[in-house]
Amino acid sequence: MAYSFPEEVLEYVLSFIKSDKDRNAVSLVCKSWYEIERWCRKRVFIGNCYAVSPMIMIRRFPEIRSVEIKGKPHFADFNLVPEGWGGYFYPWVIAMSKAYPMLEAIRLKRMVVSDECLEMIAKSFKNFRVLVLSSCEGFSTDGLASIAANCRNLRELDLRESEVEDLSGHWLSHFPDTCTSLVSLNIACLGSEVCFSSLERLVSRCPNLRKLQLNRTVPLEKLPNLLCRAPQLVELGTGAYSAELRPESLSNLVNAFTGCKKLKALSGFWDVVPLYLPAIYPVCCGLTSLNLSYANIQSPDIIKLVSQCQNLQRLWVLDYIEDSGLDVLASCCKNLEELRVFPSDPYELEPNVPLTEQGLVSVSEGCPKLHSVLFFCRRMSNAALVTIARNSPNLIRFRLCILEARAPDYLTNEPLDAGFGAIVENCRKLRRLSLSGFLTDRVFEYIGKHAKKLEMLSIAFAGDGDMGLHHVLSGCDSLRKLEIRDSPFGDQALLANAAKLETMRSLWMSSCSVSYGACKLLGQKLRRLNIEVIDERGTPESRPESCPIEKIYIYRTLSGPRFDTPNFIWTMDEEGNSPLGIA
Amino acid sequence: MASESKMIMLRSSNNEVFEVEEALAFESQTIKHMIEHDCADTVIPLPKVSSNILAKVIEYCKKHVTSPKDDNNELESFDAEFVNIDKNVLFGLMSAANYLNIKSFLDLTSQALADIIEEKC
Repeated sequence: MAYSFPEEVLEYVLSFIKSDKDRNAVSLVCKSWYEIERWCRKRVFIGNCYAVSPMIMIRRFPEIRSVEIKGKPHFADFNLVPEGWGGYFYPWVIAMSKAYPMLEAIRLKRMVVSDECLEMIAKSFKNFRVLVLSSCEGFSTDGLASIAANCRNLRELDLRESEVEDLSGHWLSHFPDTCTSLVSLNIACLGSEVCFSSLERLVSRCPNLRKLQLNRTVPLEKLPNLLCRAPQLVELGTGAYSAELRPESLSNLVNAFTGCKKLKALSGFWDVVPLYLPAIYPVCCGLTSLNLSYANIQSPDIIKLVSQCQNLQRLWVLDYIEDSGLDVLASCCKNLEELRVFPSDPYELEPNVPLTEQGLVSVSEGCPKLHSVLFFCRRMSNAALVTIARNSPNLIRFRLCILEARAPDYLTNEPLDAGFGAIVENCRKLRRLSLSGFLTDRVFEYIGKHAKKLEMLSIAFAGDGDMGLHHVLSGCDSLRKLEIRDSPFGDQALLANAAKLETMRSLWMSSCSVSYGACKLLGQKLRRLNIEVIDERGTPESRPESCPIEKIYIYRTLSGPRFDTPNFIWTMDEEGNSPLGIA
Repeated sequence: MASESKMIMLRSSNNEVFEVEEALAFESQTIKHMIEHDCADTVIPLPKVSSNILAKVIEYCKKHVTSPKDDNNELESFDAEFVNIDKNVLFGLMSAANYLNIKSFLDLTSQALADIIEEKC
């Protein structure tokens, strides 16, 4: 017997379904489910701001309370995306200010956000609660002042790694005395001094504050003042971790940290004076996350810390940890899930610290729950990679960055094909992979054959020719994002796998061998993609069609070509004609 | 100050009558309102609820009304077992939970259906 539900019951059931993926699947069941789902969807994630227009989003989802939008391609982090590329939040905020007066949360990544946008947020959304700007740019502390002054119910203000024009620290004083709702405040990326007394008062009056990440200018001597007013903190980012050596400094700090019984995550640690590190020993055993990526401390101090953090799940650290430190990590931190090791001196070709592939092998041996790795190093071997693959079959993210381009297996001088091949063959759940070192087309054969769950692949200085790209595009069933630089991939593979591109979010290729002619062809073939040629040498029309273009960014979209392209970007149009854009 | 609980009669769609204690019946906001506003006679008709479904609803309410408040584990495992049933019965229970306005029961059955949907997604 089939029951037909009243709509409100189905809607109620759907309210238990939160993930975007599931919601999207639900909406495909039938027309009425599509309708019910779209009316009750509260959160939307847009992985590429140009894939869909604000109007399309608003038309389909009238009741959104939370948006998350991403702008520039990932390679922007490595300065490969020229200034002025795009990713403007402005058209979104204009449209949403009219359509979503009840909007509560905005989370943006790699977008250009102006002060005008921030002012618009401050005055349009009466119940605004969460603003997260991750690697964004284009705004100043004036915009932040608007947010502080007007968003009465602000819970989260998180500026992670954004580039902010820092006019003054006074913006913080714009939080009214009536603001008591803050739960999370991350100002670590700001350069100028904030008014400490305002900060102190703000912290005092927000009893729900759980996450506080200070910037470098907040002096260590003042940290106890804040901590004793916020003993309920769960995550803390310190300011500069150095102070004048006064007798009571250390004991004040120890007392302050001891009072924070709920602390689970620590970060900050600029300019560390090791003498003050023991102050955090009392909280080490409770820590699940430790970010020492700015801490210029050496291996012995790192070891002393890490060996007390038996519950650590995530560690971000500089290569000062050395192999010896990674050995200790492997033996003490059995719950470790994520490790990121950054280079202290990336431009130095000679090793400046004894950190090698052995350290990573140790961690893979000792930490059975390891699933995410980002590892910068100067040498690698196939043997090490094979061992890591065997030890950590549950890897989800594996990003290896050997600093020297095209560096072979240092033991055998062979390409690292076999090593990465072992990774993709053994780690069946792998979703993200970054390659480095000397690699031939063979590695791409392995990837195409085995990496069936791979969603994001980053390639640099690798491969022999088009076959490599062909293997990836034809074999990786789950591929969503592919970014390639300085690799000899060209027209053939792209044209042969053109249809694949519509199943992906985006493809980025720079300094490869893709010709202008091929770009035009792709533009003709694929209607629902934007094929954007980026070339700062001037219009590609002025060069032969066989000439390779500098960069290409291909992404699927429902909105057709965008209208905010700068003068060094040409969007291929359907007719294969002279492209849209300014010559 | 009743020492004996008043009994309520509920008639299912197929004319079977169930006698339940008032406290139990009041788990249903719909029934509660009907009684409090004097909209019902001696027997409350529930034309949208068949007897096998009604029997299960009563079983749920009985368990939740009589269990000691602090025995969460027991209730949790009872609930989990309770919705481990044929999909059609689950749909029937959901409709009944909605019609009878028993929030905790609607939550339980809706979550169960959501779980099934997520599994299939």
